[in-house]
Amino acid sequence: MLLWAVFMIYVVHAETRFNIGHSPTTEQIAGWDIDIRPDGFGLPEGSGSVESGEILYEEKCASCHGVFGEGEDRWPVIAGGIGTLTEEKPEKTVGSYWPYVSTLWDYIHRAMPFLQPQSLTDNEVYALTAYVLYLNDQVDDDFVLTKHNLPTITLPNEKGFFIDPRPEVLNSRCMTNCLTTEQISSWSAADLGVTPVGHLSNLVPAASQDSSESDEENALAIETYKKACIICHDAGVAGAPIFGDKEDWRQREEKGKEVLYHNALNGYLGEKGYMPAKGGNLSLTDESVKAAVDYMLSEGDID
Amino acid sequence: MAFAGDSSRRKFFKRAGVAAGSALLTANQIWAAEHGENLPPNIPSWMQQTGTGVGAAPYGSPSEYEKDAIRRTVPWLTATPISSVSFSPLQSLQGIITPSSLHFERHHSGIPNIDPEEHRLMIHGLCGNPLVLTMDDLVRFPSVSEIRFIECPANGGMEWRGPQMEALQFTHGMISCSEWTGVRLSTLLAEVGVDPKAKWVLAEGADGAAMARSIPLDKALNDVIVAYAQNGERIRPEQGYPLRLVNPGWEGNTSIKWLRRLELGEKPWHLREETSKYTDLMPDGRARRFTWVQETNSVVTSVCPENSLKSRGYHELEGVAWSGRGKIKQVDISFDGGFSWKEAKLKGLVLDKALTRFSLDWSWDGSPALIQSRAIDDTGYVQPTLAQLREVRGVNSIYHKNSIHTWQVLATGEVKNVQNT
Repeated sequence: MLLWAVFMIYVVHAETRFNIGHSPTTEQIAGWDIDIRPDGFGLPEGSGSVESGEILYEEKCASCHGVFGEGEDRWPVIAGGIGTLTEEKPEKTVGSYWPYVSTLWDYIHRAMPFLQPQSLTDNEVYALTAYVLYLNDQVDDDFVLTKHNLPTITLPNEKGFFIDPRPEVLNSRCMTNCLTTEQISSWSAADLGVTPVGHLSNLVPAASQDSSESDEENALAIETYKKACIICHDAGVAGAPIFGDKEDWRQREEKGKEVLYHNALNGYLGEKGYMPAKGGNLSLTDESVKAAVDYMLSEGDID
Repeated sequence: MAFAGDSSRRKFFKRAGVAAGSALLTANQIWAAEHGENLPPNIPSWMQQTGTGVGAAPYGSPSEYEKDAIRRTVPWLTATPISSVSFSPLQSLQGIITPSSLHFERHHSGIPNIDPEEHRLMIHGLCGNPLVLTMDDLVRFPSVSEIRFIECPANGGMEWRGPQMEALQFTHGMISCSEWTGVRLSTLLAEVGVDPKAKWVLAEGADGAAMARSIPLDKALNDVIVAYAQNGERIRPEQGYPLRLVNPGWEGNTSIKWLRRLELGEKPWHLREETSKYTDLMPDGRARRFTWVQETNSVVTSVCPENSLKSRGYHELEGVAWSGRGKIKQVDISFDGGFSWKEAKLKGLVLDKALTRFSLDWSWDGSPALIQSRAIDDTGYVQPTLAQLREVRGVNSIYHKNSIHTWQVLATGEVKNVQNT
């Protein structure tokens, strides 16, 4: 009987195991195991203050998320918005919407700053998490976040989530007389002119607003700057000359505008840094990239 | 095609013009001038010479005349293309398989360029035998090949408040369907020996966002594939090369691309992409979480803003339907904005959690129409109207807008995106 049991275990084992692959070392697992849970599971030792977080935030985060967490351009708003979830335009931020502080620590650590993910030390992540909590009025300015107090902080909207109740039975299969005439008469059409329809011969984009040529050029330059250039040129990431820094730009200007255009369009690897072609946004037209170069040069008072 | 015709015609006129100096044009020459010299009764120029030899394009590409069938983006949607979406050209596609080159894209930190030799899948956490697997290891396991759709839950999400995209590609293009080949996740989980305490699996990508989601163990043990091939070849970089999860029927971002890690745990992790994002805000200010299933949806593709009607008479009206819960059972078509419906026929393969093509014979008499499709899956779920969805969810839930879609056909044959119910 015992022999039979041993035999069965062996058979099951042979059916479900292929003995492919290797066991990871503890060190290998530790290096990759980066996830943090709301109960604090996964948090490393360390701490960070609101005060030190502020310096880091302004250096590494504010160019996209805004000095007060208000979000530049279409980059995420991360502070404010409490009480707006039932309004017409809800503002979903860490303070107004996010359920757990652990998510903030985890996300900053795994994915931020956008262009240099996993470059922050654990203490820097604690500090930045503390500062974002401060921007959301969740902690005071002398607060220090640690492995031990993080799981004890509750965010205002923690109870604002519930498990998906779908499927909802909303419709039934009706074949005739399914609507009243009244229901069918109230319809609306897409006529906003926001669809990229250049490829559709039978559709014409909405007429552009009247404006002078230079206004249009300027708008194109600013839009392009915000879309592609701001990520690096606002803070000087990857050696990029900083927007508005006259000396930084004067050195570039010495090369001549055509060289700058060429580098911006085709990419450039130099002693000071790295510029991806069109700022990494290859869908930009040459015209808009050149306009953005002009815009950056002009803001450095160089023309 | 039009360009080539024009060019040939111009060449013809040039030559004909020389001839015309001395003699009248023949009837055939006039006909050819009007219709292009490659048309009957003329011998097409490509028949009067040899073509390109084998091996000229070792990988291959579409005909130069098919430049319109490409992925497109809506630049104002996102702050940067590095974290953005591109849409499949559903208006140009046939059958149920999306060419790999045209599969929609959604990246949270761009496409990593991964050397497969240096890629590893680590499986650890609550299990008896944690593993690190190379790509060579992974292809040794018994494999499955299954046709499944992947859809971003934000598909259609730009239109909760009203129709704003004047193209099918942008109203529905965040869905694609491929044949995926790989190892069942259940096979790998058996290999590591799941601890009975484990109830969830964390899946994490090797991109700059380390995109990760919590997946319940029941789903992980059911039909999930750890895939390394798509439509017969290794997965494209945009789709997760060299390894991705395919989580059939569930919102696209749970099918973690560039998969590097699976961790077994007792509880969900509540990461950014399942709290801040991919949760559905309701009108009362509360939000649904873990809204995984992509519910039954459909859209007419042969008639849409990109495909206006060029002539009266016979048209085979076609479209695609899909359900994250199972197979499509029926699709009905309305020409009067949902007042009355006719049953369409399902064409070709009808597969679980895959695009399913439907069609209906239709003769267009030149009068305006409001064309809709309504799909029903094998659980009996009937695709709802937008009014029904809005009544429950308001207009701020972003995700999971699977409502009946309406195309307005004008007497001119032009097709507009409208909402009438």
